Amino acid sequence: MDYSRPDRVERLAAEYALGTLRGGARRRFERLLPAHPALQDAVQAWQQRLQPLAGPVAPVTPPPQLWVSVQRRLFGEPAPAPSWWSSLGIWQGFTGVATAGALALAVLLGQPVPEQPAQPPFVIVMNSTEAGATIVKAGFVASVSADGGALTLKSLGELTVEQGRVLELWAVPGKGAPKSLGLVAGGQATVLRAQLLTGTAAFAVSMEPAGGSPTGVPTGPIVSAGTI
Amino acid sequence: MRPSSPADWTERSRELSRLLSRVALGDRQAFEAVYRSTSAQLFGVVLRINSDRAQAEEVLQEVFVNVWRAAGAFDAALGQPLTWLTSVARNRAIDSLRRRAAEPATVSRYQGSEDDEGDERDLLEAMPSAAAGPLELLTQASETHALEQCMESLSGEQRSSLALAYYQGLSHAEVAEQMSQPLGTVKSWLRRGLLSLRSCLDRAADLMSGTAKGAA
Repeated sequence: MDYSRPDRVERLAAEYALGTLRGGARRRFERLLPAHPALQDAVQAWQQRLQPLAGPVAPVTPPPQLWVSVQRRLFGEPAPAPSWWSSLGIWQGFTGVATAGALALAVLLGQPVPEQPAQPPFVIVMNSTEAGATIVKAGFVASVSADGGALTLKSLGELTVEQGRVLELWAVPGKGAPKSLGLVAGGQATVLRAQLLTGTAAFAVSMEPAGGSPTGVPTGPIVSAGTI
Repeated sequence: MRPSSPADWTERSRELSRLLSRVALGDRQAFEAVYRSTSAQLFGVVLRINSDRAQAEEVLQEVFVNVWRAAGAFDAALGQPLTWLTSVARNRAIDSLRRRAAEPATVSRYQGSEDDEGDERDLLEAMPSAAAGPLELLTQASETHALEQCMESLSGEQRSSLALAYYQGLSHAEVAEQMSQPLGTVKSWLRRGLLSLRSCLDRAADLMSGTAKGAA
């Protein structure tokens, strides 16, 4: 087919945009498009001309599951991540049974926290999760200064993390993706950041490859978590 | 036809354009915002062309998978975001008809010519729709735009054949069958209709660009 004749280009572009160019001719045309700016321009001009026709087409709300399917197709099976941070409610059950945590808490409360103003710190006990317990028994106490600007994290016991893995601390909002607060080294971490508590519903520690999560959201199992 | 400048766009167009540029950078929140604000409209467009609900849902998924992957290809200098999104949706919907045509239940009655039109072999049954008919939609579309005067300059047959092709995704052969007219006649209606539309709309767009009001 001769695509160099302007009238031919124009006709094909119009039929392509209208939708009447079909079958093999449509596929050939689509294959040629990326390499031919003249064809692209003609198609775009026709799409723009015909766009007002789409105006009165009544919108139809797609089923909610469709958005889930789109995400699954693009980002893989529902990542372990969304399932845990969206089920904060379950965690609240764990916190009640934190005897070790409660003991350690009493000790910690007596200690000064860096950058600590006069008010007492806000303390969150982070228990070892059921899933995490098989890998590493990791309970923590997180103390957040009353102004919400500093956090110290201390392990409740001996922590042994396998070679090539690190623990990473996350601030988990009520909705949306967790934000990394940095790595937990030697069983403790200190985070200085404004407004640590604003919008935060929980803190969590996940097991990650050396250097921390490569994606910006937790990739490994959550080994410890505590709601605020 | 000269593209309208983003400065003339509606707030919604500018917002969509901004969101798409963030989607191109891999921003999932922006992607979700695009989905929330356009999925119903695009689903409507897809359903007009492919009225099979399950297939239309599949098509809409493909549309957004495509939007995520190709958002970088959207160029605000060349056209409005909704035009781009609608075109992606229409193209996918038309492709889905081809898949359906390939299914054994469909009978092809049209013998393609030896020319480059050997493409209209995919013959589908005309799809009745409970919603507003194509001509009714065309009238509504015409009412709101410069399209009105241009549509009036077309013959009734030209208008009808254009509406059937655009709104129902019918091929030349299908439009011919629907209108009980010879294929050649319908093709020439469509071609002349498109040519008249182009010259009329471009004239209108040139007039309007003088008043800094971009063509839709």
